[in-house]
Amino acid sequence: MTDAAMEISGLNRNDRFTRGSRLVDALSKTGLLLAILAVVAYGSFASPAFFTTGNLLNVLTSMSIVGIVVVGMTFVLVVGGLADLSVPATIACGAILSLGLQPLIGPVPAFVLAVALAGLIGLLNGVLVGYVGINPIIATLGVGTIGLGIVQAAVGGVIVYGSNTASAEFAKGRLLGIPVVVLIFLVIALIGHFVLSRSFWGRWTLATGGNYNAAEASAVPVKAVKAGAFVITALASGVSGGLLGLTLQSARPLIGSGYEFSAITAVVVGGVSIIGGFGSVPRAIAGLIFVQLLTNVMVLQGVRTPIQGFVLGILIVGAVGMDAALRKRGVV
Amino acid sequence: MTRALVLASQYRVVIILGLTLVISALVVPGYLSASTLSLGLDRAATIGLIAIGLTVLLIAGQIDLSGGAVFALAGIISVILQREIGILPAAIVGILVGTVAGAINGALVVGLKVNSLVLTLATMLIFRSLAHWITNSQPVTGTDIMLSLALAKIYLEIFTIRSALFIILIVLLHVWLTRSIPGRNVFAVGSNPAAAKESGIASDRIVFLGFVFAGMLAGLAGVLQSLVTNTGSPVFGSELTVAVIAAVVVGGTRLEGGRGSALGTLGGVLTIGSLTIAMEFQSIPAYVQQVVSGLILILLVVLDRVVTTKGRAPGTRPALVRDDPITQGGKV
Repeated sequence: MTDAAMEISGLNRNDRFTRGSRLVDALSKTGLLLAILAVVAYGSFASPAFFTTGNLLNVLTSMSIVGIVVVGMTFVLVVGGLADLSVPATIACGAILSLGLQPLIGPVPAFVLAVALAGLIGLLNGVLVGYVGINPIIATLGVGTIGLGIVQAAVGGVIVYGSNTASAEFAKGRLLGIPVVVLIFLVIALIGHFVLSRSFWGRWTLATGGNYNAAEASAVPVKAVKAGAFVITALASGVSGGLLGLTLQSARPLIGSGYEFSAITAVVVGGVSIIGGFGSVPRAIAGLIFVQLLTNVMVLQGVRTPIQGFVLGILIVGAVGMDAALRKRGVV
Repeated sequence: MTRALVLASQYRVVIILGLTLVISALVVPGYLSASTLSLGLDRAATIGLIAIGLTVLLIAGQIDLSGGAVFALAGIISVILQREIGILPAAIVGILVGTVAGAINGALVVGLKVNSLVLTLATMLIFRSLAHWITNSQPVTGTDIMLSLALAKIYLEIFTIRSALFIILIVLLHVWLTRSIPGRNVFAVGSNPAAAKESGIASDRIVFLGFVFAGMLAGLAGVLQSLVTNTGSPVFGSELTVAVIAAVVVGGTRLEGGRGSALGTLGGVLTIGSLTIAMEFQSIPAYVQQVVSGLILILLVVLDRVVTTKGRAPGTRPALVRDDPITQGGKV
C-alpha cells in the first residue's frame, strides 16, 4: 500500500467522525436493544417458562460465566488481536486447578494460583502476539493446545472433583437474592468498562487497535498493550473457569470447549469491530444478552444443541460481514 | 538471497524429518520396518490431503480453519448415503459436499472481504454443527465392512491407496506450483495482492478457487477416512487443525503468504506422521501428542517470524498479518 493510499483511507477515517456517525452509532446501539426486546417478546409469547424468575436467573448465571470471558475478549478484539482461541485451555486451567489443588493448599490459594497460571498462558500468548508478532489466531491455537495438554497431563486426563464444601456453598450462594457468580461478573464488567473507556490503558488499547503505527509513533507502548489484552482475557477466563469448577464441583479437561465461540459471537454481535480500534464492554455485553436469550428461547423451544452452534456461526458471519460493509462505507 | 532462503527452508524440512526418523528409530524398536513406515505413511495421508489444500491457500495469503469440520461432514455424508445410492456415488457426493463447503468459504471471504481466519472460524462452527445435527451426535456406520480391508491393503510393501493418492497429488501440486502460470500467480497474489491485481491477475478468482480446492481435498480426506474406518463421526478431525497447520509450516510454507512449496509440505506431513506413529508405539497419551504438535507449530512460526522480519520491504506485508481487512480485488 502506498503512502497516498494510506492518506486517502485516513481522510475517510476523519470523515466518519463528522458525517452522520452519531446517527449510525445511535442506530446500531438501539438496533441491538430492539433485537433483545424482540427476543424477550417472542420468548414470553412462545413459551410460558421463559418469563419466570427461575429461568431468567438461570440465563443470568450461565451468562455471567461466559460474560467474564467476554469482558476480556472485548480487549482482544479492540486492540486488533482478532480472537483468543486459548480460552478453553485457560478455563480448564482455572477449573481443574482450583478444584484439584484444594486438598493441598486450601480453596482460596488454589483459586488464586489457578487464575495466576491461566494468566501465565495469557502472558505466553501476549508475548507471541505482541512482541514476536505472530498471528493471534495461530498463536492462541497453538498455545491453547499446549496448555490444555499440560493441564490434562497434570491431572492424568481424568475428571477432577471438588472437596471443599464451603467454597462450593459460596459459589452457588446468593447475596441479597442475587447469585454470587452474577455479582462477580458485574464487578468484573464494571472494572473492564472503566479500564477500557476511562483509563489511560483503555485509550492506549483503542489507539493501538485503531492505528498501530500512529499509536506507536505517539509513544504508546503498543507491544505491551497488545500483549496485555491477552493476559486480561486469560485472567478473566481463569476466574470464569474457577467459578465454573466451584459451581459444578467437578472439572473435566474439555470443560471450556465452546466458550471461545460463545465469547467471540457475543463480542462481534455487540458491534465490536473484529479489525480493532472500536468497541466497548457494554456493547459486548448487549451482544452477550442477545445471544444468551436467543439460545435460551431455542432451548425452551426444544431446538437441539447442534442447531444452536449453527445459529452462532451464522451470527458471527453476519456480524463480521456487516462490520466489513460498514467500514467500507466509512461508518463505524 | 531468496534462493539461499528457499534452499535453507528446504533443508530445514529434510533436517527435521531426518532427526525425527533417527530419534524414533533409536527409541522405538523395529521402527524402520516397511510395515511401520507404510502405517505411518497411511496415517500421514489424512493430514497430508488436507495439508495439500492448505498449502495452496497459505501461499495465496489465506487460511482455512474449517478443514477438520469439512473432513467430518464429508465423511458422514458419504457413509449415510451408502444405503441410498451405493458406495461410489456416495463417496463422490461426499467430496462434492467438501467442495461446496470450500466454495462457501471462498465466496464469503471474497464477497464480504473479511479476514479468512475469522470467517473460517465461524464456518468451522457451522460445518461442525451441521455434522452433529445430521448424525444426532452419534457415529454412523457404513454398509460394506470389507471395503475397509481393501482400502487398507498394502501395495509394493509400502503404499496404501490413500497414501499413494496423497503422494501423486502432492507431486502434481509441486509441478503445478512451480511450472505453470496459474501456479505462479498464486505466489503473486499471496506476496502482494495489490501488486498482483495491478499486474492483471484475477486475485479474487484465485483466492476463491483456492478455497474450493482446499474444501475439496478436506472432503476427499474425510471420505477416505470414513471408508477406511467404515464410520462417520461428527467429532472426527477436531484435533487435525493444529497438526495440519504444523505440517505445512514445518514444510517451510509461511503463514504470511507468498512463500511455500508442495515438496516442503510433503516433508512436513511425513514428519508429523512419523512423530505420531512413534508416539503411538510408545503409548504416549493423546494429550501429550497434542502438546508436541502445538510446540512444533509455535516454535517454527516463531523461527519463521524471526527470520522474515528482516527481509521484507515496507508495504509488502501480506494479507494475513496486515491490520486492515484483506482487500484483494477491492479498492486499495
